[in-house]
Amino acid sequence: MSGDAVALTIVIIMFVVVTLVGFAAARWRQAEDRLHLNEWGLGGRGFGIFITWFLLGGDIYTAYTFIAVPALVYGVGALGFFAVPYTIVVFPIVFVFAPRLWSVSRVHGYITPADFVRGRYGSHGLALAVAVTGILATMPYIALQLVGIQAVLTVLGVHGDWPLIIAFAVLAGYTFVSGLRAPALIAFIKDILIYVMIIVAIVYIPERLGGWSHIFSVAGTHLAQTNPKTGKPFGSLTVGPTAVWAYSSLALGSALALFMYPHAVTGVLASRRRYAIRFNTAILPAYTLMLGFVALLGYMALAAPGVPQAVKANGANAQLAVPFLFQKMFPPWFAGIAYSAIVIGALVPAAIMSIAAANLFTRNIYKEYFNPDATPAQETRVAQTVSLLVKLGALIFVLALSKTFSINLQLLGGIWILQTFPAIVIGLYTRWFHRWALLAGWAVAMIYGTLTAYSTPAPGVPGSHFGGSTANVPVFNHTVYIALTALVINLVVAAVLTGVFRLAKLSAGVDETLPGHYHADPPGLRRPRVPITRLTVGSPDPDPDSRPPVRHGR
Amino acid sequence: MAQHRAPSKHAGTWIVITVLLAAALIGTLWVPFYNHLTPVLGGFPFFYWYQLMWVPVVAILAGVAYLLSRLAQRGNGANGQSLDKDRREVS
Repeated sequence: MSGDAVALTIVIIMFVVVTLVGFAAARWRQAEDRLHLNEWGLGGRGFGIFITWFLLGGDIYTAYTFIAVPALVYGVGALGFFAVPYTIVVFPIVFVFAPRLWSVSRVHGYITPADFVRGRYGSHGLALAVAVTGILATMPYIALQLVGIQAVLTVLGVHGDWPLIIAFAVLAGYTFVSGLRAPALIAFIKDILIYVMIIVAIVYIPERLGGWSHIFSVAGTHLAQTNPKTGKPFGSLTVGPTAVWAYSSLALGSALALFMYPHAVTGVLASRRRYAIRFNTAILPAYTLMLGFVALLGYMALAAPGVPQAVKANGANAQLAVPFLFQKMFPPWFAGIAYSAIVIGALVPAAIMSIAAANLFTRNIYKEYFNPDATPAQETRVAQTVSLLVKLGALIFVLALSKTFSINLQLLGGIWILQTFPAIVIGLYTRWFHRWALLAGWAVAMIYGTLTAYSTPAPGVPGSHFGGSTANVPVFNHTVYIALTALVINLVVAAVLTGVFRLAKLSAGVDETLPGHYHADPPGLRRPRVPITRLTVGSPDPDPDSRPPVRHGR
Repeated sequence: MAQHRAPSKHAGTWIVITVLLAAALIGTLWVPFYNHLTPVLGGFPFFYWYQLMWVPVVAILAGVAYLLSRLAQRGNGANGQSLDKDRREVS
């Protein structure tokens, strides 16, 4: 049995185990309804500090971490390291705004960011825009997970799209049947595998390669070579003078965007107590430290004999750098475990994201516009179906977009989701912006961001589309992450139109929140387990039972 | 920061928290601070160990900010009363 066959066998065994766990999860803590948004998705809103840590950290550890970031570091060097400041600054940002979102959502029973926007601005249109953006932006993020699985399969010698489609169909199957309980159970296996894989990789591989300084020096030599496609060096160990703004804007833009994603908001709202969120910003950086070392796997791949050659022989696909590194460095059985960690580490977030997007659709679009009187069974069926459609949408992204650097898939999602920032985060502090001005700012920024990303060619491939996430800003004359440029346009349009709409005395809508709601800290709710449908009642005059009870006094 | 319950006797605490958190943003987002290779530490060029060093630092800063925010909130019992009144109005 060849080494790859051993590794592949281990991956298949792990996949089968995870699949069985996924389907068995349907019976885990079985309660009244099959799709338990409140039991796991918001955990009855009863998660303490540790599980909140686990949930939020899971949003960082995906194929983005294992495949996309090291691939970028492998391909262009220091620029790819922006993921480290990104996952550092995200925590101070969360520290500031997340407790407010948690409090107001607890008081009013909001489950999605769109719920909050509708309550705050009394605007169905703005809430719809936020919901649609959340669903759209999730798809390329899921697509990135697919690319990660594909990279592992390619290195194992499994070619073609069918294994990927099988893996995805199985994932869709147990997500459909078990809902959020499937990824919740599998996440335990995922995290154990991932920690083992990372710790071994960052201790064992540098040892075999002759130490860190050797790794950096070989990587630096590789990066200084001329890229035949662009006629410039591939990259360098520091950020080039033209890329300084790109580096910090990618970090800041990604950090601002992360907690706009529906699945990340879910993690925040699932916390039982307000303080648990802030406490977590002090312990979540443990994940960032790991991410930093995983990013450096890209340099180890450059320094490992045989890896750059193998990547080049496979169409110079940088996504293959880490899987090839494991193949050359680890004994086959451990390579198999490391591959399993990557594959499962991609499947779990894909499931969580598709369910978060499906809930967003069911709650803020289907129930709102198509069938306000939907029965619980109908809602569940719609959510299940939409979770399948979202995954299909992700497949389209994988097949249609440039895969030079899969990180662009995540960054494209960031361009879109960041445009909901003014309505959500600024809305947590002030209602100064007019609701229709926010909607107009969002629309202009979405169009600008999409068109700019569309017209950005992949490096060295003129005329290609969606090939990068940064673009030159005229006047300012620096290369900046498109999401941030679009956000500035968004804010300017919203501010100007707010002035106009106020002069025109357009109705600003009714705000159902009060200042105190943003600080409310009701003690942990020990609610009876209720089906998702009790929580999805989201009409303007909600069923009083659907709101979490607010306890008075302290 | 708008986190405090104005008018708060803990305005000073919130200013300290803001400074702590802002330090993390500036220290990591201002690339010229660290965009060079030397001094090398344990084989890591400056660019890398500087940014990795910020990870435990931000954890400590956020931890201190967390403790301060708990102190400030605990000391705000009187304001807590008015909050409860707000809540009653909507219930």
